[in-house]
Amino acid sequence: MTKVILLVLIFYILALAQASFLVHFQIFGMVLNVSLILVVLINIFESPQKYLGLHGSLISGFFLDIFSTRPFGFWILIFFLVAIFIKLIFRKYVRIPFIART
Amino acid sequence: MLFAILAVAVIMTLNFFQNPVRNFFYLVSAPIHKTLWGAGERVSDFFETIAEFKNLKKENEDLKLKINSLLAENAQLIELKNENKILKTALNLGLQEEFKLTLAQVIGKDISQDSLLINKGAKDGLTKNLPVITEQKNLVGRISEVYNDFSKVMLISSKDSSFNAKVSEQEIFGVVKGKGGLDLFIDRVPQDKELKVGDILVTSVLGGIFPKGLLVGEIREIKKSDLEPFQQAEISSFFDIGKLGNLFVITPS
Repeated sequence: MTKVILLVLIFYILALAQASFLVHFQIFGMVLNVSLILVVLINIFESPQKYLGLHGSLISGFFLDIFSTRPFGFWILIFFLVAIFIKLIFRKYVRIPFIART
Repeated sequence: MLFAILAVAVIMTLNFFQNPVRNFFYLVSAPIHKTLWGAGERVSDFFETIAEFKNLKKENEDLKLKINSLLAENAQLIELKNENKILKTALNLGLQEEFKLTLAQVIGKDISQDSLLINKGAKDGLTKNLPVITEQKNLVGRISEVYNDFSKVMLISSKDSSFNAKVSEQEIFGVVKGKGGLDLFIDRVPQDKELKVGDILVTSVLGGIFPKGLLVGEIREIKKSDLEPFQQAEISSFFDIGKLGNLFVITPS
């Protein structure tokens, strides 16, 4: 539960920074999506059997949706699909020695 | 499966209530949002300045060139404005109807020789002895030398200048001569004619050098002696040599 609360705080700050600070730094017309990077990293380095990455994807998607002009659920869906995809790949095809499989 | 359905249901519900939800988060985040936005702008400006440094130097040089060009254009426009003003004055006096005029600018003055240099010459159709006046119809002098692009004007105060003049609206004739040093006087005025200080002198048709009716000056001091057959008077010319900028040359029509 503590981890989830921590994730909520982190993703809230990241979404806020994304919408207010990082929008000023466009590279080839695109803005770096730090929330997506964090979601990907959590899902890669987390054990495939744990769900924190999936929770994180929902939370970060929710906050990005709050600060975006797209229909609600757009980022939640994308992040959730990305997290599921990574989980699936890692569960079935990839083994990283220092990440324990439980 | 149940979780997925639940998630979709929550998302759909949130879409219906997105306005109050978003409003709540915007309200809570506003102070941080504002601060981060300002910081983002400053940092981005800083990096942009570094990235644009090379271009800035070139842009600066280009802008300097542009400023110089605009300053030159501005000076030219001021010149044209002044010229326009003078032409308007001349037009109001009806000079253009009376004479054929060529506008010229004074580009040099030689007070010791009572002469001026103007920027119009033979190329502009000027010839020797053409009268030169101001926009107020004041006689300045006549052209003494003509070059291709320039002409020398001998002022009426030159020692070599003499021409016939008369007192305005009276039949008193005389010869106006230059004394040099920007002074001039009228001579050959018969003793029986009564000159007054302040009388205005205009050119007369008798001499044939200048057209009649051009303003010469006003009588400043009368020198009358019973021993002399004629009386003389000192004249103050109407033009101020220090302020002469644009002149008109009366060309033959």
